[in-house]
Amino acid sequence: MVNNYQPRSLQEALNILANESAIPYSGGTDLMKKPDENATYLFLNKIQEMKNIVEDMNYIRIGALCTFTDIIESKMTPSMLKEAASFVAAPAIRNFGTVGGNICNGSPKADCALIFFVTDSKLRLVSKRGERVVPIAEFYLGRNHTILQKDELLVEILMNKTGLDNYYFKKVGARKALTMSRVSFAAILNVKDGKITQCMTAFGAVGDVILRRKEIDEMLIGRTILEAKAVRENYLAAYKQAIHPVQGRVSAEYKKAVCMNLLDDFLDSKGI
Amino acid sequence: METISKSIKKKDHDSKVSGRALYVDDYVMDGMLYGRLLRSSKAKARISNIIIPELPDGYLVVDNHDIPGENCVQIILADMPVFAEETVEFVGDPILMVVGPDFKEVERILQRIVVLYEELIPIFDMCKSEMVFFNYNYAKGDFDKALEEADHVFEETFRTGHQEHAYIETQGIIAYPNCGRMVISGSMQCPYYVHTAVTKALGYDAKDVQIIQETTGGGFGGKEDFPSILACQTAAAALKADRPVKVIFERREDIAFTSKRHPSVCTYKVAVKDGMITGMGIDVILNGGAYTTLSPVVLQRAMICSSGVYKIDNLQVAGRSVKTNTIPNGAFRGFGSPQTIFAIEMMMDHVAGKLGIESLEFREKHMVKKGDATATSGKYYFHVPLPEMIQRIDELTDYRAKRKLYQQQEGRYRKGIGLALFLHGCGFTGSAEGELIKPVVRIRKTTNDKVEILTGNTDMGQGLKTTFSKIVAETLDISNEQVLIENPDTARVPDSGPTVASRSIMTVGAMLQRAAGKLKQIWQTGEEQIIEENYVAPEFMIPFALQEFRGDAYPTYSWAVNAIEVEIDTLTAESKILGAWGIYDVGVPIDLNIIQGQMQGGFLQGIGYASIEQIDYNAQGIIRNNNFSDYIIPTAMDVPNLVTKIINNPYSHGPYGAKGAGELPMVGAAPAYVEAMENALGVCLNKAPFTMADTMWVLQEVLNNG
Amino acid sequence: MVRFILNGTEVGSTALANERLLDVLRNEFRLSGVKCGCKEGECGACAVILDGRLANSCMVALGSIEGSNVLTIEGYRTTERFAVLNKAYAIVSAVQCGFCIPGMILASECILARNPNPSEAEIQTGISGNLCRCTGYKAIVAAIDTAAKEGQGLW
Repeated sequence: MVNNYQPRSLQEALNILANESAIPYSGGTDLMKKPDENATYLFLNKIQEMKNIVEDMNYIRIGALCTFTDIIESKMTPSMLKEAASFVAAPAIRNFGTVGGNICNGSPKADCALIFFVTDSKLRLVSKRGERVVPIAEFYLGRNHTILQKDELLVEILMNKTGLDNYYFKKVGARKALTMSRVSFAAILNVKDGKITQCMTAFGAVGDVILRRKEIDEMLIGRTILEAKAVRENYLAAYKQAIHPVQGRVSAEYKKAVCMNLLDDFLDSKGI
Repeated sequence: METISKSIKKKDHDSKVSGRALYVDDYVMDGMLYGRLLRSSKAKARISNIIIPELPDGYLVVDNHDIPGENCVQIILADMPVFAEETVEFVGDPILMVVGPDFKEVERILQRIVVLYEELIPIFDMCKSEMVFFNYNYAKGDFDKALEEADHVFEETFRTGHQEHAYIETQGIIAYPNCGRMVISGSMQCPYYVHTAVTKALGYDAKDVQIIQETTGGGFGGKEDFPSILACQTAAAALKADRPVKVIFERREDIAFTSKRHPSVCTYKVAVKDGMITGMGIDVILNGGAYTTLSPVVLQRAMICSSGVYKIDNLQVAGRSVKTNTIPNGAFRGFGSPQTIFAIEMMMDHVAGKLGIESLEFREKHMVKKGDATATSGKYYFHVPLPEMIQRIDELTDYRAKRKLYQQQEGRYRKGIGLALFLHGCGFTGSAEGELIKPVVRIRKTTNDKVEILTGNTDMGQGLKTTFSKIVAETLDISNEQVLIENPDTARVPDSGPTVASRSIMTVGAMLQRAAGKLKQIWQTGEEQIIEENYVAPEFMIPFALQEFRGDAYPTYSWAVNAIEVEIDTLTAESKILGAWGIYDVGVPIDLNIIQGQMQGGFLQGIGYASIEQIDYNAQGIIRNNNFSDYIIPTAMDVPNLVTKIINNPYSHGPYGAKGAGELPMVGAAPAYVEAMENALGVCLNKAPFTMADTMWVLQEVLNNG
Repeated sequence: MVRFILNGTEVGSTALANERLLDVLRNEFRLSGVKCGCKEGECGACAVILDGRLANSCMVALGSIEGSNVLTIEGYRTTERFAVLNKAYAIVSAVQCGFCIPGMILASECILARNPNPSEAEIQTGISGNLCRCTGYKAIVAAIDTAAKEGQGLW
């Protein structure tokens, strides 16, 4: 058997990566569009310990090898994530595509990655050298370019447990299934004691990397709804400046228009 | 319902549902080699050199020097080479084929071949091309006079784009030499078309070329003329290698390099007096692509039905098919009529709007009736069921009420409903059946009293094996199981003409009915008996003179009404289809389920054409969206509410009352959809496909700017 | 050697680890019922049931299925469930050119295995990854609905 590995444990996988240049294969639903004859693949899909979803004190910990179907069927995953997963492609892709692959491909169109991004999730990256936990916002360097080192694997995604119920999510696609995002938008707004405690927004498919501007969201945090309404125009103007869609399968003008419309609607829905 | 219409289990159901049915790629032969085509990467160039690396043993290159007959593919004209000679005319023009025993090695060799080009200047814009392939004109009455006397003259231009067939089984051919003959088997609609082309390219006698259709995974016109090209190339390879050669297209290759629907630009000039149309001047331009293929006939049909279902006494129609350095376009379900029916329906709708008359009401005033003259001064000899179909669809959809209601809308979601009235001429255009095709059928009773149908017509999913069998079984009063029908093999079956133009049931089915009727008279149990039957033109037809475009272009027409209701999300420009309804007259259905399946499939394919299917050419003449991620067709979730109804309007000259059905459902979806979008957006639209991006442009530019 | 269970039998393949399961099934095991439509996971013609779930075999590398369970139309067509689906598809003449059908039948099985009484919308979602160009999907959806009703107890 030429050039492939089928580790049965994370340790085994990390040992291999420490010594060899191998391409991690989780679900195959992206990699297999262009299989490389000469590559060495590291087949991770049999590693059970990377497929768990557990809850601890602070986080929902989602194994990187959980498939979109696993996310949808799990009792522990938040609704927002389930919804994004349910819009991915079609059943056969959802059954085998993984959240780990979705993040590590580095595509700004990735549906679940958008949800992890907007919820400021953390990623646990592990290698034989050790491990690091990084905020997802720091994971992406550019289109299809991440900080993942050659000997590292994304093992787990750490999602906050609370505050994910009041969400807004929209994926815009050209047809009702088997569709990539033309534009996607996810947002969370939480109000406590009359004040906005959380405002988190992010756009997918509009740039090289998922767009998240904490400093813009901060314009609304700590304010009452009425106060937020007063700065609504500034908020929108700030975003209008920040969104520079890349011309792709649809025009940049189209994407920008949709982004601003969705943002508008999100604010409307919250009474802002 | 007629007895024959009662649905039966399809003859090919069992083999297909079980996965046992074999398509061309499922065949593996001893010593078989694989072929891949090397194609031009330039839209227009002279080939200055081709550098081929040293080839391993068993691998060879096949090019224009290996064509023993004539290096041309005989379709209507023969301007397309089998393999390019000095120039290439579009990105994808086949230059040579690499053949060998290992598929991956063939690919590797292909990647290493270097072609040096001297680039020339390509033409991509069909409106700017001065190379006219075909040019026709016809007229009746006095349009100029109508213009002079008009109260109003309206003029507008409509555009439609390419469409890819997207049959789920890609193109594929196997060729193998066999004792001095060349045998071709593959995915195709017209074995005898392939036979003509291969015979000419190889310079063989007709008897030495044998073409066998394999179970074909969808055609839609995409396997009408194209397989002839691939068959000539593969036959040349098989001849040179003296081994079987198989060529199966990858999906990207198929989308990028096979024939498509002709894009169109149609300009309508309409004279109106006292609220009625008194004359129409129509100009049709079709983008033929780099070679002529079937352009003349597509253009003819487009022009003949360019005035749609309306009675226009003063008519002037001009049409041309032009060359551009893009994919040579070919047959696609509808064959020119989706393009002009789109234009005429939209024009009628727009003229009504400008006159302040309700769209449907205006159209109803102009609809043809039995006895009226056709656009080409033929006649509508039979009942035109449009009025009752309109009533039926209004009952089903509440069209009239909704159309009014949707004119005043606010809020995020805007609904719209559109309606199209249309027809499709049944059978081959003009007098070709009798003058060119001269179809022949045979039925053979075996010694154990089974009856075998022998025609060159193919089942590509539309159920022809079942419907042909039903016609013969019903006539002979025997069971369907007693009737045998195989995939056609030119060594065994006569040329009954191509499986195109919605002619199979109406024309060939009628011949089979007559043959079976004759057999019944002379039936001898236990004896082998063969009946041959020729074409008989319906006696009422005025022969069609092509030069003048005068006479009966078709013996009869099939009719339909489509209504489509949409809901647009003005935030995202996404449109949801709330419902798509079609009422169809195809004469008596030979099998109701089969006809319903054709209507539903064709309707959805037409909806794709109207909304999400487009071919994206870049500035170098390369199709960018050459895969199923980017060339998108409807999924099962896109039109969940699709309703089709068949009315009862038997055609006296069709077998058991049947007439043409296959293409009709494709023809009217685009205007119904785009009119629905107009109703929702409150603007006039003039292009298909009308996409999400187009919708957003209207929302931003037109509606936001007042 | 990658060992897996194919239509109930233990088999081994010596093809390369990065070979598509689709190609292994067709070329090595001669299972021509598994069709190739696009090689991009976009059409579902190559669908098989892998470890109990619908998979596009063109998107599965051989190296990833060590010890896995693969079911193709060739294995499925011997089952009682297939017989019910077969009959249901036949009654509405849902099979036209047939090229999407093996994948579509396996997708049908996966829908009913998860939910023996699916709604029309659930059926449409369940076959949303199987492209059909011939039928407009209506007859196929009706067939799956009929199979659900007729096959009570089987799923």
